[in-house]
Amino acid sequence: MKLDELTKGVFKYNPIFYLVLGLCPLLAVSTRVDNALGMSLGVFFVLVSSNVIISLFRHWIPSQVRIPCFIVVIASFVTIVELFMHGYAPELYGRLGIYLPLIVVNCIILGRVEAFASKKPVFDSFLDAIGMSIGFTLGIVGIAVCREVLSTGKIAIFGYTLVPTFTQSPSVMMILPPGAFLTIGVIMALINYRSIRKEGR
Amino acid sequence: MGEELKRILGIAIPLIIVCVLSGAALTASYDLTEERIEAVEQEKITESLSIIFPGASFTATDDYYSATMGGEEMGYAFIAEGRGYSSTIKTMVGLYPNGTIRRIYVVSQSETPGLGTSIAEPDFTSQFNGKRIEDVRLRQDGGVIDAITGATISSRAITDTVRERAEVVLNETR
Repeated sequence: MKLDELTKGVFKYNPIFYLVLGLCPLLAVSTRVDNALGMSLGVFFVLVSSNVIISLFRHWIPSQVRIPCFIVVIASFVTIVELFMHGYAPELYGRLGIYLPLIVVNCIILGRVEAFASKKPVFDSFLDAIGMSIGFTLGIVGIAVCREVLSTGKIAIFGYTLVPTFTQSPSVMMILPPGAFLTIGVIMALINYRSIRKEGR
Repeated sequence: MGEELKRILGIAIPLIIVCVLSGAALTASYDLTEERIEAVEQEKITESLSIIFPGASFTATDDYYSATMGGEEMGYAFIAEGRGYSSTIKTMVGLYPNGTIRRIYVVSQSETPGLGTSIAEPDFTSQFNGKRIEDVRLRQDGGVIDAITGATISSRAITDTVRERAEVVLNETR
């Protein structure tokens, strides 16, 4: 089933909650919803492109040096995206500029390239990348929603207020690193609790 | 020996090819975007100058811009650049010849999103308007600027660089 390659990344093998990959940028960028969306967009670009490119060349890359090859390809790709965005979309670059270099060290990219794209045909890798990006987006935006609401008392995306201020004394801790750990911990606990109960039946 | 060499080359050559191709792609992209990026950065400076002194015309010297409007000198504008918490903070500062800050505008920074990034927002930067240079310090350092909760390092960095650069520029203009 081709469609499985797409949907598995969203729910069954969600990169954040199931594979537990890419937590470093996740912790750093999930402070606000618009930042989370920006990071997701960057991950989408780079993940899809590097999965497709690596999958195209998978027969030519010797397995002993595959990791250096992958890293070089991913890092070059991120830099190219960064250069062009800086020159031709300065508005977007202003928002995403800080997160683009973080994508190089995002384990989801290397993880998917190594575990999937280096073994599977191009189209499957393409679907896998899209699914994983959607899974990553759901995870990071979900966490950002919790953290932004609790830390600022409202949600504002690109200047539009989605949830108006409902408290005058929000918790600053939620925007600091402990807030990220707490949120991820609670969400993972809920997911694991559900799957344990399901198995028990 | 021949077998061994073949094996090593079999591994090394693909890696070399990947690196050379990536390097070529990077060089090409850099060449293609270099001019655009410079133009974008220059535009940012021009834009921030017109935010500081709207409608004025500027003469650049080595260190600062003098702003004049209708032949009359308005003040000076200059870039204050300093190390923040996680990035270099670049701020455009407008200064009156009497040593009062006109206003400041953050040109570029990449501080902690949601915390340190608040230094670029008007809630923070408007505190500088009309302040004397020597008062531009955080409140806990004996000045009049309120730091952002949870981002004292970023707040202190921008406040101190603005004050230090302003002192230098003011001395040069005298």
